[in-house]
Amino acid sequence: MTRPRPLLSVVDDDESVRESLPDLLHEFGYTARAFSSPEEFLASDALNQSKCLILDIAMPGMSGLDLQRELKRQGKKISIIFITASRNEAVRLKVLGEGAAECLYKPFSDTALLTAIQSAIGKPA
Amino acid sequence: METPREAPLEEVARLRLCLNNLVSVVALPALWTDKAPQQIASMLCDALLGMLNLAFVLVRLNASDGGGPVEIMRVSEVLKTESEIRSVLARSLDDSAPLQWPARARVSTRDADLYVATARLDVNGEMGIIAAGSERADFPDMTERLLLDVATNQAAVGLQQAYVLVEQRGMARTLEDHIAQGTRELAATNEELKKSERNLKLIIDTIPAFVWCMLPDGSNEFISKGWHEHTGVSPQESGGWGWMSVIHPDDLPGLMKTWRDLLRSGEPDETEARIRRHDGIYRWFLIRAEPFRDESGNITRWYGTSTDIEDRKRAEEALESRSQDLKLIIDTIPTLSWSTDATGSVEFLSRPWLDFTGLSAEEALGFGWSVAIHPDDGPGLLQYWQAALNSGDRFDVEARIRRFDGVYRWFLFRANPLRDETGTIIKWYGTNIDIEDRKRAEEELRRNDAFLAKAQRLSATGSFSWSVDTNEIIFSEEAYWIFGLDRATPLTLERIASRVHPDDLQLFAARTEAARSTGEGLDYEFRLQMPDGSVKYLHTTSNETRGVNGRREYIGAIQDVTQRWLAQEALNRARSDLAHVTRVTSLNALTASIAHEVNQPLSGIITNAGTCLRMLDADPPNILGARETARRTIRDGNRASEVVARLRALFSRGEFTPERMDLNEATREVIALSLNDLQRNRVSVQTDLGDDVPLINGDRIQLQQVILNLLRNAADAMSDVQDRPRRMLLRTGCEENGNVRLTVQDAGVGLDRSNVEKIFDSFYTTKSRGMGIGLSVSRSIIERHHGRIWAEPNNGPGTTFCFSIPRDAEAHS
Repeated sequence: MTRPRPLLSVVDDDESVRESLPDLLHEFGYTARAFSSPEEFLASDALNQSKCLILDIAMPGMSGLDLQRELKRQGKKISIIFITASRNEAVRLKVLGEGAAECLYKPFSDTALLTAIQSAIGKPA
Repeated sequence: METPREAPLEEVARLRLCLNNLVSVVALPALWTDKAPQQIASMLCDALLGMLNLAFVLVRLNASDGGGPVEIMRVSEVLKTESEIRSVLARSLDDSAPLQWPARARVSTRDADLYVATARLDVNGEMGIIAAGSERADFPDMTERLLLDVATNQAAVGLQQAYVLVEQRGMARTLEDHIAQGTRELAATNEELKKSERNLKLIIDTIPAFVWCMLPDGSNEFISKGWHEHTGVSPQESGGWGWMSVIHPDDLPGLMKTWRDLLRSGEPDETEARIRRHDGIYRWFLIRAEPFRDESGNITRWYGTSTDIEDRKRAEEALESRSQDLKLIIDTIPTLSWSTDATGSVEFLSRPWLDFTGLSAEEALGFGWSVAIHPDDGPGLLQYWQAALNSGDRFDVEARIRRFDGVYRWFLFRANPLRDETGTIIKWYGTNIDIEDRKRAEEELRRNDAFLAKAQRLSATGSFSWSVDTNEIIFSEEAYWIFGLDRATPLTLERIASRVHPDDLQLFAARTEAARSTGEGLDYEFRLQMPDGSVKYLHTTSNETRGVNGRREYIGAIQDVTQRWLAQEALNRARSDLAHVTRVTSLNALTASIAHEVNQPLSGIITNAGTCLRMLDADPPNILGARETARRTIRDGNRASEVVARLRALFSRGEFTPERMDLNEATREVIALSLNDLQRNRVSVQTDLGDDVPLINGDRIQLQQVILNLLRNAADAMSDVQDRPRRMLLRTGCEENGNVRLTVQDAGVGLDRSNVEKIFDSFYTTKSRGMGIGLSVSRSIIERHHGRIWAEPNNGPGTTFCFSIPRDAEAHS
């Protein structure tokens, strides 16, 4: 019996990301679910099951940073990898300081993402 | 002296001589006939001196008319001086002289001893004395004594006759004189009488009065010729009671009454009545009558005169009417008037004065008027009044007078003294003029002035007026304060200019001259440089007005806007910083947005491409999945290209809307819009807009953005220039190929030749704070007009930017 594949959740308001990223994560060997907003993610059962969160920073409504703070407030220990289209080093340092595993600027390569996930939660089985 | 032994011959000769002498002496009176006493005395002396060989003979005649004695003297040649003998004789000859010869005396003179015999001329000696002197000691001998006696008697008789004759002659002359005098007087009296008669007639007929005579019963006896001529009534008609016909009917009863009273009392009197002239005109006469009485006191005649007093009467009436008018004027004009005597005691108060105060004349005369004076003003007024009375100077003071209803009003008291011929003041005439309204206006004015001064102080705004023609300048208090000028020294343009900041002097002079020559309003800012080195920023506005006499005058305000200017400066700096930050921020946002917009689809492309490769590499390859991801890759690629197209549009926003436009006009609009900014930066703009510039087809708004951009760049390039004028020159013109060209020449920091090509590239800037977008946008606009934009360094300092566009941009598009 194989170990169940760890669940990774993608939260991004950009539809092309939500389409493309879960497929790639599957190729990496993870289970993936996509959410269009932090509110949607917080309301789902993925909140308690996700090992890692791949999170956009700039979104309408709650931002990626808001979700990071909310999870910390709820005591959820989910590793977070931020992805952002705005190349802003100050913001990057800030989220890392808040405990994020990594912050990648879009567009990022598939290997950069894989390295980040593996360093955050270890290799899938 | 007897000489017995004398020879008889000598004796005979002596006697003969004596006789001869006697004969001569006796003959003397015949010579003396009609002679005056002094002549007689003289002839006697001459005769005796010769006959007796005497040293001197003297006759003293006592004056018959009571005057002093007269002495006649003859002296022999032997004796030197007559005066010495006289003085010697004066001592011995007096009234006690011997009655007759041979009384003798010896007198000594300086030269000789003289023996003198003296005798009275008459028995009493009243007529005088005679004295004879000889050097002989035996003088007078017997014959000499005889001769002297006879001569003396003869002289006495002759003199007596002479005196009588003199008296007779005097009487006769006096009588004749009296007769002659009487005759002359008589003749003169006759002449005078004749003249008097003539004169009286003349007087009666020519004096400007009629003379008449009435009988005691009152009927007329005589009236002078003039009356008849005046009335045209003949003496026959006027006689008796006929004269009454010419008396005015209204005056006749009164006249008759007076006449009856007169006849009864017998006392002189006078009355007035009108007498009809020959032409029917009545004239006033003064009629006077005087009684004439005989020795027993009965009135025998009434004499009188009638004097024409028409003119006097008229004058009196006129005077009366004038004084009525004057009284009417004094009592009607709304001025309170009064008069006092020399001591200041009021004698008269006009009706308006009494009406105003509600006092009666009795209450107010003298010094009673003072109750109507305000208690606060009374003492001062009286003091002034007393001083004026003392000095005789014109009196001029203000005080409040209580109106009848108790309300006090301000009055101006004025009085002038009236002096007689000697300069002594005999009266004072005065007026009180109601100045309440003026006083209030003054108060109001003072208050307004105070408000204005306060307002000017608070708003740091001074006001001024400038008479263009006379260059007379008036400053308000605040204006003086702003300029830091002393009120004492007269204001001139030069003095004001001395305060103007050296950099603004040209501006100040140009604006002032423009105002003077064209009458254009003033509205600009300039600076002052104060003596302590501080700088003030002023804003002045003023407009030309026409003052009194139609003179050109600028009236306006000068506001010290230093605080506002500094605040504005700070604000501008802040705004400019903010604008820069905003520009930077929005550019960052733009960059971010560009990145975001581009990176999103790129991110999708790469992810999908990576997934696709992994699916194809899997064993077995996931062809279905790979196809799907490849499809998404293409979709995201398209999306990215749309983003790029949208970005390009960002740099040339807006529609291109060409129109027929005048480049010169568009340029002037831009200059007008920018003028305040340019002036603030102390950039002077000169223009040389060519007459030959044709209308062009272009987007007016976009081209104006280019011009504005060039203007601002030029101004910015000169912002650090301190050592030369910040001058900018805008030119337009037509090129040979028909293109229109605009050049903007500045005197700024200049441009490195190597940079000339780069400056129109995006994001290139030589400015420390610039973003370098303006010129690249300008280039894209000019290029849309199918034109060309370039820059070239000046020969001197600064750069010239130019653009050139074809006349018809649309034809190319």
